[in-house]
Amino acid sequence: MSKLLIVDDEVEICEFLKSFFEDRDFEVAVANGGSQALEKVAAFHPEVVLLDIQMPGMDGLQVLKKIKETYPKVKVIMVTAVETQEKIEEAMRFGADNYITKPLSLEYLEKDVQDKIDILAKGF
Amino acid sequence: MKQKGWTSLKRDAPFHVRTPKTVLKKVLVGLVLFSFGAFVAYLLPFLMSFSGASGPWVHHPLLPILVMTAIFVSAYKSTEHRIKKFLEKYFFHKKTFAQMTLMDLTGELAVNLDIQEIANLVVNTFGEVLQLKTVALLVPDPLEDHFEIASAFGWTISASKKVRLAADTPLLKMIHQTGPHVLMRGPVLQSLSWQEANALARDLDSLQAAWIIPLFVKGELTGLLAFGALVPDTVFDQGDFHFFREFAAAIAPCVHNAMVVKRLRQLNFELQDSQSQWVQKTKLNAIEKLAAGIAHEIHNPLAIISGKAQVLLMQRGPKQLEPNVQEALNAIVKQTHRAADITRKLLMYSQGSRGPQERISLEKVLDETLSLLAYQASTDKIEIVRNLDRELPLFFANMQEIREIFLNLLLNAVEAVGAEGKIVVELKYRRDEELIEIVCSDTGKGIPVEHLDKVFNPFYTTRHEAVGLGLFVTKQIVHRYGGSIRVESQVGIGSMFTLQLPYVAEAMREKEPVKTGAAVLNR
Repeated sequence: MSKLLIVDDEVEICEFLKSFFEDRDFEVAVANGGSQALEKVAAFHPEVVLLDIQMPGMDGLQVLKKIKETYPKVKVIMVTAVETQEKIEEAMRFGADNYITKPLSLEYLEKDVQDKIDILAKGF
Repeated sequence: MKQKGWTSLKRDAPFHVRTPKTVLKKVLVGLVLFSFGAFVAYLLPFLMSFSGASGPWVHHPLLPILVMTAIFVSAYKSTEHRIKKFLEKYFFHKKTFAQMTLMDLTGELAVNLDIQEIANLVVNTFGEVLQLKTVALLVPDPLEDHFEIASAFGWTISASKKVRLAADTPLLKMIHQTGPHVLMRGPVLQSLSWQEANALARDLDSLQAAWIIPLFVKGELTGLLAFGALVPDTVFDQGDFHFFREFAAAIAPCVHNAMVVKRLRQLNFELQDSQSQWVQKTKLNAIEKLAAGIAHEIHNPLAIISGKAQVLLMQRGPKQLEPNVQEALNAIVKQTHRAADITRKLLMYSQGSRGPQERISLEKVLDETLSLLAYQASTDKIEIVRNLDRELPLFFANMQEIREIFLNLLLNAVEAVGAEGKIVVELKYRRDEELIEIVCSDTGKGIPVEHLDKVFNPFYTTRHEAVGLGLFVTKQIVHRYGGSIRVESQVGIGSMFTLQLPYVAEAMREKEPVKTGAAVLNR
């Protein structure tokens, strides 16, 4: 079973994503903030992280940087409510694997997560 | 270089040129003195007899001649000037009249602050009064570091526009050396080596001038009055040159002040321009902040609504949704994305687009946009006419932005026309002005006069279901391309939007001009 970590300060967003991916046989963990996300990455060892950019406290970009420093193999898909060019460029510089905007298209998201897992399975 | 008529002053002409007039004056002075001498000689025998002198020599015929000569020789020097002045005053009215006219002009110039008017008055009066062939008044261009012709007499406009006298040209260097003296082509060229003379002659030829009067104000060169004569051997005497210097001293401050005023006006205009750009930028920044805030606050709830609907729609397993439930969920997903698009759009335009630019066919983009509206137009009995220039060049722009312009203009027109009417879209390339012109007119309900200046404001709308960003966004795009947009409208008859975009064929346009506001031009 593929492991997916969902990080968003909006509990409801985490909830429906969790049920969506569990329905598709993923093992899903949820974090509602930056520091909690880092703890979960260490304990849960997800293959893919869905990471919200705008969060109170440690924001998504900082979390992304730390994840990529410690676990460079983990695939991170950034989720944003507002896509400013600067934020997207910064995220790409920190090694984000993709970014998607809210409201989400679950069809696209599912395909993208699956792509990342396939890449990992091939050993990249 | 072949010398032209106005330059054909003999190179060996002495500095103090004798004109027919000065010779005439000298002859007149001589005549007056001789007559005085003759009168004295005639009286001599009587004077002699009164004083008691006598003898045969008194009646000698050589005596009167001797006396006449003596008086002529001794009195010539001292009286010449006075008699000349007297003669000039009463017998050579023409020149005095010319000088008076020119001095009158200086009084008129002193109360004028428009450099163009001053220049026109100076060259025309100077040229006509002195019956010259060419006169040109050159003034410095403070930004470009050269002198150019402000106004010219006896020149073709196109020729006068071409003249540029750089600060390091031999002529200007020479004038800085010689100061406020009138520069005469012949003598000056003669005093130089042939290389220097050739270089200077080229400058003088470019100004079609045989004489240059420099205009100095406090040691600063503020202008040049360059002129050439109609008659090749026209010459001016010392009195004329003295007057020219006086005239130059009188008009120089006027020219200087007018130039200062012109510069101030320019600066004031630039200031106003940058101020309005700043206001525009501030407005955009405020909208950007607002849009970013709204987007963040709204996109999360929208994501939840749409997400939950999608989870239900894409559920796996035996449970099948009722068709009407499925339909409702689809509508929820679709409408939440539509709502998110509004804030995204607002954000995108307030930030300025950074999309790629390429050479695009405006006709193709227009046709694509028209095809989007074709269905609505046909159901509503709206006739859409395209009116295109036969040779429309490819335009270097962002396809998305140009499409947005057409779409917004056409959507507005369709909305204004209602159930029945006509929309005309014109695309023109104005070659001489290098402008692309887009005109969209409709036979719709029109815009009331009091709303005309508001139609480009964000959130201005007359429709309940509309956001009111279409024309605002269009204006932002047009400004980003350095263009202008205006609207004419009459209630009950229709509206006409005219857009002008500076034509650009290649990637020469500045990057992101809207961020600096540099490209906002209102033609």
